[in-house]
Amino acid sequence: MRVDVALFAHLTPFQPDGEGGRHARTFDLAEGATIADVIVALELPDEPRVIFVNSRHAAEEQALSEGDRLAIFPPVAGG
Amino acid sequence: MPDPRLHIYTAAVIGCGGLGSNVAEMLVRSGVGRLTLIDFDTVEESNLNRQFFFRDQVGMRKVVALSENLQRIRSDVRLDLVAEPVTAESLAGIVRGADVIVEAVDEAEAKAMILNTCMTELPDVPLVAASGVAGYGSTNAIVTERMAENLYVVGDLTSDIREGHPLTASRVMTAAAAQAHIVVRVLLGYPEP
Repeated sequence: MRVDVALFAHLTPFQPDGEGGRHARTFDLAEGATIADVIVALELPDEPRVIFVNSRHAAEEQALSEGDRLAIFPPVAGG
Repeated sequence: MPDPRLHIYTAAVIGCGGLGSNVAEMLVRSGVGRLTLIDFDTVEESNLNRQFFFRDQVGMRKVVALSENLQRIRSDVRLDLVAEPVTAESLAGIVRGADVIVEAVDEAEAKAMILNTCMTELPDVPLVAASGVAGYGSTNAIVTERMAENLYVVGDLTSDIREGHPLTASRVMTAAAAQAHIVVRVLLGYPEP
């Protein structure tokens, strides 16, 4: 299945093409793949993050579906 | 004059430091009827460079000092004070009933916990967060982004205090003003892109 993945802020260099930028890239994933599988595949750092699928909040264990738009946002400190 | 249309609304402000104390001030000046102020901390001398407190309030609970200051602006504002740390377990119970929630804490872990908890347990309540407010970078980089259906994030998304950026009055208060403004826009029903 194909899923669009967008990474924000300091996660952008973890896109596989290494080009950075927050625009989504399309991934080909095995049926039943979860968000956690994507996090492992991209080798994202183990830091606080907030995850959305199709503009709705999602948990890491959620399974993805064909055409989903996954976005991962890492908040940074300061306030 | 405060906008009378805002009087019926309640805003919950999680964290009453650089962002939250200034957001609360602007919401009270704007006319929001009721605020829940949440912070377990006390006012320190080092806070006075950017937070809405005064020298003679050093040592006071922030929510108590802030409530005094807010009532000097508008005596009819209703304030609920919560002087305890929020946890993933307690948060929804504390902010439930608010028409809008403001995330205004400083640590990344706490920000993520608040966003994850509120969007899971209170998905229909608009949430206004901030990320990337530190340093001397241009205030033009501070934007308001609708990151999800009910989530608005203010900041440049990247300036992190862990990288040695200081927290300045001008940049933190720019972000606080943007947070307060999106709260008002959401409450009054202005559509956001």
